[in-house]
Amino acid sequence: MADTVQEFVFNLTFPFSRTLGSTLSTFSSALAQGQIIGVRTGGRVIAPPLEYDPDTAADSGTDWVCVGPKGTVSSWTWVPEPTNLHPLDHAFGFAFITLDGADTPMIHVVDAGSESAMSAGMRVEARFKDPADCVGRIDDIIAFVPASDPSPSEGAGEPFEAPAENEITEMDAFCDLQYVDNASPTTLMWAKALMEGRLIGQKCPQCARTIVGPRGMCSVCAIELDESHIVEVPGRGVVSNFTVVTPTPYPGQTETEPFARCSILLDGADAVIAQQEILEVPVSELRVGIHVEVVWAPENERSAADIDNRSRGSGGDIIVGWRTTGEPDEPADRYLDRMM
Amino acid sequence: MAPSENDIAIVGFAQLPPERRTNLTESDLVLRSTREVIAQVGIDKSEIGFTVSGSCDYLSGQGFSFVQNTDAYGMVPAINESHVEMDGAWAMYEAYVRLLQGDIDIAMAVGVGKNSNSDPSTLFTVEFDPYYLTPLGTDTWTLAALQARALIDSGKATERDFAEVVVRNRANAKSNPFAQVKGDYSVDELLAADYVRNPLRRHDLPPTTDQAAAVILARGKRAYDLCERPAWITGIDHRIEAHLPTVRKDITTSVSTRLAAEAAGAGKGPIDVAEIHAPFSFQELILRESLGLDGSTEVNPSGGALAAHSVMTVGLIRVGEAANQIIKNGKNRALAHTTSGPCLQQNLVCVLEGDQ
Ligand SMILES: [Zn+2]
Repeated sequence: MADTVQEFVFNLTFPFSRTLGSTLSTFSSALAQGQIIGVRTGGRVIAPPLEYDPDTAADSGTDWVCVGPKGTVSSWTWVPEPTNLHPLDHAFGFAFITLDGADTPMIHVVDAGSESAMSAGMRVEARFKDPADCVGRIDDIIAFVPASDPSPSEGAGEPFEAPAENEITEMDAFCDLQYVDNASPTTLMWAKALMEGRLIGQKCPQCARTIVGPRGMCSVCAIELDESHIVEVPGRGVVSNFTVVTPTPYPGQTETEPFARCSILLDGADAVIAQQEILEVPVSELRVGIHVEVVWAPENERSAADIDNRSRGSGGDIIVGWRTTGEPDEPADRYLDRMM
Repeated sequence: MAPSENDIAIVGFAQLPPERRTNLTESDLVLRSTREVIAQVGIDKSEIGFTVSGSCDYLSGQGFSFVQNTDAYGMVPAINESHVEMDGAWAMYEAYVRLLQGDIDIAMAVGVGKNSNSDPSTLFTVEFDPYYLTPLGTDTWTLAALQARALIDSGKATERDFAEVVVRNRANAKSNPFAQVKGDYSVDELLAADYVRNPLRRHDLPPTTDQAAAVILARGKRAYDLCERPAWITGIDHRIEAHLPTVRKDITTSVSTRLAAEAAGAGKGPIDVAEIHAPFSFQELILRESLGLDGSTEVNPSGGALAAHSVMTVGLIRVGEAANQIIKNGKNRALAHTTSGPCLQQNLVCVLEGDQ
């Protein structure tokens, strides 16, 4: 039998489109053309621009100013080992860079070659992506690099004429975070029992309720439950609730047809086992009160890989689903006010 | 003092031992910390009129993780409950405000953070400006380092000063049973380490900690039923600065901390003990100055945030440690501080006083 899994790697990845609003649309549309801009507000030029004056919260307006592409480093640090989220795959600096024509610095990457090249006061200039690849996002600037000529940027500080309509009004973002969770003692007990073809719960010594699957606590009494409170529960019960999900397409969605997820109250239990699939019953014929029994995956096909802390009560790949027993339905109103 | 019915006190505080990596879930941690504080003040959970927690879905990597955590309160019959996606110190602030409404006498605030599931060098990129910072992978260590470099270049502090903060906090932590990082170190041995983000070394960064903590607050005379010497909250305030550190006029000082301390009445009398939440060593130097603390105040006898740093719990622990200075140590006036956001963006100051 396969071992229960001790650690679970979970990648939180999703695409995201952000609308930019008028200020950032102006900035992004200019940036995609290779022009960095700021906004003059409250007597100073803020670059990159914000929608509001941070001192007064007043609308920062549309007094756009061309800034850069050269600037001066005011503070800096060094990243010796970049992460997967950093834009460069070799050691680089981050810096506060006050672009020519601006009064506030921007935070950006400095590709300086070595840490010893970094200093306050160093002159740097923006290195853009190929114009065809520019989308108006801050990383259209690959990095700032030491300026070949420290003289002031041409045109910096001059007004920027924004087009009547901005070309870029949205920004694509992508979240990519990794988590490594470890199985709690309660999760391990549940996974082990499932692998052995057993369903277990924990019986609270205070209120005598049986909670399936085990939670490590009684969520009525707020007391800790452990291995000594484990009880076996039968693989038979009654559908106490269900919902029909009409799948909308999104990245990672594999379902295409409406499907149901059911709560099942196992015989002798007080809390339902949720998110279960009833086999061979059309969605339109599902109802509260149906008697069902568990269908296990064959022993050699069981895997506890999906039995993690977040899938509390889920059967993963070990429970294939539940099939009707053919017994007459129970009255539906018997299943009101059930705990999760 | 004879408390008025609108005086609110902290009457109990429990924290779990900090761990680098627990195998318990956040719900388990909430259960253990709340059970402990409830037992400490000797009430039944049904006497709690309001329960509020601080935790973060991004830390646990699970949407609505706080809903699962409420199992630990015993929610049948239904209870009055709330949640903030911030440190438990802000949950405590909400509990305080809730008690001021005057219809309940006891509230509980919880902070929980299982930080070991995620990677601090990447996770906090999603906390920052999504247009100008997140696409660059700008991480929390980088932003702190940029602030630290500015502090050095201003002439206010050196890397040696940073290391001295670490040496003192780790030494203080030796007498704190709830410290994860503690011991005797020398400044020179610390300064021999490599930079993680120049000018910051590993010791300047917060440790990664799994932990939970809980406090119980009580209103008016009810406080004396639960605690011999309540820690009265005589002032509390929370101020926020611009989210982009680059548009602040001077990041070598903390305007929001100064304003919060003034509004909380920190300067109205001497402060015996201050528990300061400085995630990065050098930030303690900025905060001491912005809080207006002088040499007469004992700072971070617990070892502070460098001794254990469970994001979402660490601020509430500052409040609890400060309260315990009054409840258990007989001190008269204590200050608790907590921060959130890049480069000390948000700051909360709470002044606690015992009966004289
Ligand atoms: Zn119970």
